Amino acid sequence: MIPLAHIVVLSAFLFCVGIYGVLTQRNAIRFLISVELILNAANINLVAFNKYLGTPDGLGQVFALLIIGVAAAASVVGLILVIAVYRLRKSVFMDEFNLLKW
Amino acid sequence: MNAAVFYLIAGLIAGSAVLSVTVRDIFHGAIWLALTLLGIAFLYFYLDAGFLGVIQILVYVGGIMALFVFAIMLTAKIGDHAIRQVNRQFWPGLLITATLLAVMLKLVMDGPWMRVQASGVVTDLQTIGRSLLTGYLLPFEFISLLLLAALVGAVVIGKVKR
Repeated sequence: MIPLAHIVVLSAFLFCVGIYGVLTQRNAIRFLISVELILNAANINLVAFNKYLGTPDGLGQVFALLIIGVAAAASVVGLILVIAVYRLRKSVFMDEFNLLKW
Repeated sequence: MNAAVFYLIAGLIAGSAVLSVTVRDIFHGAIWLALTLLGIAFLYFYLDAGFLGVIQILVYVGGIMALFVFAIMLTAKIGDHAIRQVNRQFWPGLLITATLLAVMLKLVMDGPWMRVQASGVVTDLQTIGRSLLTGYLLPFEFISLLLLAALVGAVVIGKVKR
């Protein structure tokens, strides 16, 4: 069996890829894709720790399930906001979103 | 043999995640994201979390990816992929990410996790169902409320005003 540290390293790498996308990409949909990567990195950790440390009530898997629900709600609202802003500005590039900037 | 399967899945996840963020065409990025999420579902199967793997395929690869593809088709313009995709903070962003990754790798390698062995406790579907409806009932109900709020909010925001 592989050591737990290798799974944690994979999860940390996935998290950093997501952070890189959030910080540098201009496209708003690419931003949401990066947020999904970050949430999945957290889920991998929860499932791995649940298997290696062994909780009697399956807390890690239950919380991973709840995070999947929250991520679905977040991406629905995020994508509909992008589409609503696109109707106003005809653009999906975030440095052209200055509707709230005075 | 067992370990080789894990490193194969890890390579698939890491490679397609990097491609989904860096590739120029946003539609190709969405396809690579689907491959990443599928790889994570395989990882769940590998970690004896079969139910979560099925849910991951159903919700992410089936549901959220369809949403992403629709959003891209509704907003993409011809020639978008010829425009610069990164903002002015590219080099600082890369530096911050590399520093963060180095710090996290150091913490993981210094921690006790290299020696932890698998406990052998397998969480089966009955355990998850019982936990969701007894001990963790409040977060479960909260998620259903959140999904309802997201549904109503998406309809209100997405409605075309006349």
